[in-house]
Amino acid sequence: MEEYHRHCDEVGFNAEEAHNIVKECVDGVLGGEDYDHNNINQWTASIVEQSLTHLVKLGKAYKYIVTCAVVQKSAYGFHTASSCFWDTTSDGTCTVRWENRTMNCIVNVFAIAIVL
Amino acid sequence: MEDYQAAEETAFVVDELTQLGRARCESWTTNVVEQTSSQLTKLGEPLKYVVTCVIMQKNAAGLHTASSCFWDSSADGSCTVRWENKTMYCIVGAFGLGIGPPSPADDLPPVVHLLTPAMNSVNSFLVLFKSVLWHSQNVEEKNK
Repeated sequence: MEEYHRHCDEVGFNAEEAHNIVKECVDGVLGGEDYDHNNINQWTASIVEQSLTHLVKLGKAYKYIVTCAVVQKSAYGFHTASSCFWDTTSDGTCTVRWENRTMNCIVNVFAIAIVL
Repeated sequence: MEDYQAAEETAFVVDELTQLGRARCESWTTNVVEQTSSQLTKLGEPLKYVVTCVIMQKNAAGLHTASSCFWDSSADGSCTVRWENKTMYCIVGAFGLGIGPPSPADDLPPVVHLLTPAMNSVNSFLVLFKSVLWHSQNVEEKNK
């Protein structure tokens, strides 16, 4: 799995725009916070909801799936992967990795074009 | 649910070894998503698929996952499988999205019901800001 790289832009889906949107959401929710078991549910929910809301506001003809995983920093392993069966000319994905002193956050955005 | 069975069968691929090695874990996540994806497509449904997998070592830190989807709730759906053995947790999410124009509320093809969540509504497509929020909360172990 690539690290610290955005997935390549697909024709029709602007991955860079989605990356910026998601990064802003994560910064807003997790910025300045330390890992807190009591709040983590609320944080992950806020990240996915806010990211999705901003993506929908772009007004493009896409269905979106936003997933977020937050893991406390430790010496132990954590791996994610994804696989997609879709139309590569119209659909696309974007992955945002974010971290601070106490936690890592990985947000995946999958955009599937709507055929009208 | 066909989606559930396909994802669960594939999750057992990672039950080969009991020790969690970084290189093996990387190939496990890849194998899980690839095999799940190929088995789902073999079902022959008119759907696009997105499959995600998270593998995390046990007795480590806290892990929380969440997902939110903006889609046509009459044609699209998702399924989550949580699997564990004595050394690790694995969470697999499978999302199926209908191909083609959105269905009218009273014209659902039979195949859609396989993936439609129980709380599905038949409201019209593109209801803005309506999202299906789904939490997948599996690992909550704290550092000891």
